[in-house]
Formats: sequence, C-alpha cells, structure tokens
Amino acid sequence: MFIDFSQYEVKAPKIKAFKCQSCGAIYYPAPMICSKCNARRDPVTGKGWETFDLEGPCTLLSWTRAWNLPEGYTKKYMLFGIVQFENGLRASGRLEVDNPVIGMKLTATVIESDERPGKPVKVFVFK
Amino acid sequence: MATRVGIVGIGHTRFGNSSEYDLADVMAYAATDALQDAGYLEKRKEIDQVIVGNMASGLFVHQSAVASSLISRMDMEPVPAELVENGPASGASAIKIGYMAIASGMCDVVLVVGGEVMRKVSGWMATDIVATMLHQEAEYNMGLTLPSFGGMFTRLYMEKYGLTERDLALLAVKNHDNGAKNKYAHIQAPVNIEAIADGPEAEVVNNYVAEPLRMYSTCPVSDGAAAVLLVNMDSPRVKDFKKKPIRIAGIASATDTHCVHNRTDPLQLNAVRIAAEKAYKMAGVGPKDISFAELHDAFSILELAISEEVGFFERGKSYLAVRNGETRIDGRLPINTSGGLKSKGHPVGATGVSQVVELVRQLRGEAEPGRQVKDPKYGMAVNFGGFGNNVVAVICAKE
Repeated sequence: MFIDFSQYEVKAPKIKAFKCQSCGAIYYPAPMICSKCNARRDPVTGKGWETFDLEGPCTLLSWTRAWNLPEGYTKKYMLFGIVQFENGLRASGRLEVDNPVIGMKLTATVIESDERPGKPVKVFVFK
Repeated sequence: MATRVGIVGIGHTRFGNSSEYDLADVMAYAATDALQDAGYLEKRKEIDQVIVGNMASGLFVHQSAVASSLISRMDMEPVPAELVENGPASGASAIKIGYMAIASGMCDVVLVVGGEVMRKVSGWMATDIVATMLHQEAEYNMGLTLPSFGGMFTRLYMEKYGLTERDLALLAVKNHDNGAKNKYAHIQAPVNIEAIADGPEAEVVNNYVAEPLRMYSTCPVSDGAAAVLLVNMDSPRVKDFKKKPIRIAGIASATDTHCVHNRTDPLQLNAVRIAAEKAYKMAGVGPKDISFAELHDAFSILELAISEEVGFFERGKSYLAVRNGETRIDGRLPINTSGGLKSKGHPVGATGVSQVVELVRQLRGEAEPGRQVKDPKYGMAVNFGGFGNNVVAVICAKE
C-alpha cells in the first residue's frame, strides 16, 4: 500500500505583513486603517490589502537578556530583540545569537511556540 | 473661567504585601483615610461619584466589579461608582476622569480610589499578567515582558548617551533614601552604592533582571491602595471640608503606538512629552516652575527619560544631574520624593493616585522629616501606562 507522506508535511509558520493597495504603505502588525491614505482594512475579506511574509535579512536595533520570564517559560533566561527589515518594517521577537551587538546583521525566521497554555503562537526568532 | 478642582482629602495604605486581604478592603482602607483626612466620613453618602482605578483585578485576584464592591464595604450606597482602567496609569486616569466629572458640572465632590493586589499570584504570573497590556500578536506572544522593553530601552539609551549601570544604581540609592523615610513605602530601607554597584558582592546583591537592568533598577511587585477626595473649589460645598484644597492646576494625557518597535525613535516617549505640554499649558506654567516631581520609575531608566521629556533636563543629560545630586531631596529639583516606584512600590492600579497623594503631602508640608521639600509651590506627577503608550501628567499647586 502506498502511503503519501506528503499529506503530513507541516508548512513552515509565517508571520504576515500588510500592504495597502491604495497607497502602497506597508505595516506590521496589521492596522485597521491605513495611516497614509485612510483606506480601511477588512480583516475578514482582506479586500484592498496584500499580505506578504515578513522574514529574512534584518538589523538588530536593541536587545536584552531577560531573567524574569513569565509563567510557562522554563528556561533560565531568554534573549529578546527589536530588528529592522530591509523594507523598513520593524519587529520584536526572540534572539538566538551568542554575542549580540546593536547594528549586527541577522536573519528573521518564524517558529511555533507552545510555552503558554492554549493554541501555539507564531514567534519571530532572529538568528 | 474654568472650574477649579482641588484635593481636600488623601489616604494611603502602606504598600507591600497585602495578599491576605481582599482588594476591596485594601481600597476601602485608603478611601476611609481620605474621608477622615477631609473630615467627611460621616457625610460620605453625599459624595456625588466614586471612581476606582484598577488595572487587572480579574487576573490578579479573580475579582470583577470592584467599584461596586468598594461602595458596599464603605456603606456608601447609593453613591454612583465606576471603574477606570488604563494599565499602570489607571490611577491618574481615574483622577483625570474625576476632574472631568467636576469640570463638566455633573459633580461637586468625587472620591477617587486606586488599588491593586498583585501578590496573591506568583512573581512569574504577575510578570505575565502585566505583560498582557502589550500588543498580543506582535509582543506578548513573543514572550516579551515590560522588563524586557525596559532593558532594551536602557541599552539604547546607554549606547547613545553614555549612561552607565552605576548611574542607575545612584538613582536607586537616591530613591531608597527617600523611601526609607516614607511611612507608606514598600521597601523602607536605604541602600548604598558599595552594596549595589561598587563592592565585591554587588553582582550578587544586584543581579540582572533584563540586561542591562538590574534588580535595583526595577520596581518591586506590590499591593496597596491610595485615595484622593476631589472638590469643586468654586462650589459652596468646599467649606464642608476641614483641609484647604490643593488645586489640580493641570491634568492631561496622551497616547503613543501600542507596539514599541513602531516608534520612529524608540528613545522618544511622545505620549509623555505631549501629556506634559498639555498639563503645563492648562496650568499656565513651565518646567522651571515645578518644585518637585513624582515620575513613574517602574524601571530607573524611565525616571531619566521622563525627566527629559517633560523638559527638566536636556535629552541625554538627566543622569549627569543625578550624579550632581540635583534631584536629591535637598537638590535643585527633587524627583521621586516618595521613594518612587522603586522604593515605595508599584501596585499598578494604585500608583497614579499614590503619586498625587505625595504631591499633596509635600504641598501641604506634611511629608516626614528628612524628605519634606522646602516651600514647594508646584508638584508634577507622570503616570506611565503600557510602555509609554498611554500617559497621564498631573500638576498640583499650593493656593
């Protein structure tokens, strides 16, 4: 019997950024109204807006090593950072580098995290 | 002429661990203090409105409708009562709404109570609950917390302006000196620079919380409540109170982006600057007129950054003023005379009201010996909601 393992393929998690088709302004996270042209975004139909994956090369703007993690996190500490992408968008997320330095070039990836109760959430990891 | 609103009664619990008590009882204690201070306890049912500031009682103590609960504890039915929530700025927002209620002409006497019991849950859970005010998808889900943003902000400030960890420790020494003399403070103990920065054990005593922020650059998790009784100073009812009013000369708030990363310059606290500008304009004063200030130092870096945004110091220069002792109790511009959030504590819903209670104590000349500012005329408080995305500024004046 042939088993099609491809049906079990897990799609890589993605975090979406948003582009207003009226004026071309880009956003992360999603706005409800375009701050440039006041176009409304309907989160159900998405009409008038494009989405694209926010990932890839970025630059580290600041970072911290947090020792007082919230309930659900079992690590001793975690690193967090804010980055800027080449398109100018910025994001906050986890940092996985040994010696972070402001201004260093990184790559943004996305994982699914299940530390907290409930459905897993998508999380940026900057490496 | 705009209605003049004054404070005729103040109340405060000692901040610290009240986790064995019901939140409504903790708030009622401070509220009763305020009514007694004003000589209005027996007339409490004549109060036109009660407004409660609270951030997250549903999460911290699994209790909702705390304004209604408070009314019943104090035998104040049928006085109207509502809740105001604005994260850690809930307290000052509640005062602002109280001010607006009087200025609108709907009320002459308003009781404002801010309170929070945070220590019924673990420290990890408290950190998580406070973090729920962040953007859920873009910040909270990442595992970020308020101390994490405090750490990243501090690192940027250090990189740009040359601030050192020792400078932050100097702030802790200053604020603990004040808090040690404040009967309401959570941590009534001084600390010295040797113990937390210069000495061989400093790394252990003053460990990292969110690098480069250390424990002595971060406020404790506290329980407590504070209350103020507001009155229309132009109403004949102002004569019903035994204390002379301290006038609220200016009160204003402003907002900024929910996501910290979306600020054009992450070191600029626009909501602080705009709220302060509006409060100054309303009061008809400027930064040079302020005699002392209570600034929301949930993380020590915020005392510095806020003091610059409200115009006390040039950008990037406030820590030099701290080195020179300018913000000590005997300095040119005392800041956080109560001990600040660092030493007095930070029960999130209570903090804004507590800051204003301190303004009144100082302006009345009722602060404890050793931490009374000499002949103050204007006091300013800045209550910081979120990571600076909803901020309230209050200026009180001695008439």
